Amino acid sequence: MDMESLPEQVEPIAQVEPIAPAIRVHAGILKTFSACLFGLLIPGMGHAILRKWDRALVFMGSITAMFAFGLFLNARLFNPDFSDIFSILKFIADAGSGLLYWLCWLRGLGTGAPAAYTYDFGNVFIYTAGLLNMLVVVDAFDIALGRKP
Amino acid sequence: MNDHFLLMVIFSALVSLVFAFIAKIDARQRGKYFLYIFCCFVLLSVLVGWLMYPFPF
Repeated sequence: MDMESLPEQVEPIAQVEPIAPAIRVHAGILKTFSACLFGLLIPGMGHAILRKWDRALVFMGSITAMFAFGLFLNARLFNPDFSDIFSILKFIADAGSGLLYWLCWLRGLGTGAPAAYTYDFGNVFIYTAGLLNMLVVVDAFDIALGRKP
Repeated sequence: MNDHFLLMVIFSALVSLVFAFIAKIDARQRGKYFLYIFCCFVLLSVLVGWLMYPFPF
């Protein structure tokens, strides 16, 4: 190989800045705990504490609307009954809505009308509202830990 | 409000909205994801309804 054909100086390769990893901001233990607690009590409140206003509004509106629809459709709010597994599961799904469930239950709403045409639909609306609220609390927990923006 | 299809559409819309806001960050992506889940809910419900049609229970 002819050495004269090689350039005398080789241009150094430009230094490439490494891509910075996403900054994880931990909200703090107290804020994380309060976001989860208040999120369980009031749908969307956890996101409001974390200042995610758009999500808080959507979650609050959607879950409250589902719960209200359920009551409107003659659903039954299941009591804290631990006699069999299905009663427990129904109660957990209902109570996932937090204060919505407890306030209505204490006021005697949601007695249910099993003969009504929409009884099953109403129950599904209320179960789903509670389960979605649990999912929303997990989302708030992830945001508070900095796992999600 | 005795229309099962209308109730199913309302249910699908509310659940899809929550899922879209949980799963996506960008507004455009949320819109696309919402439509995708909503269509899946409605179309698959109708499809499963027709598949169950021959069964007597």
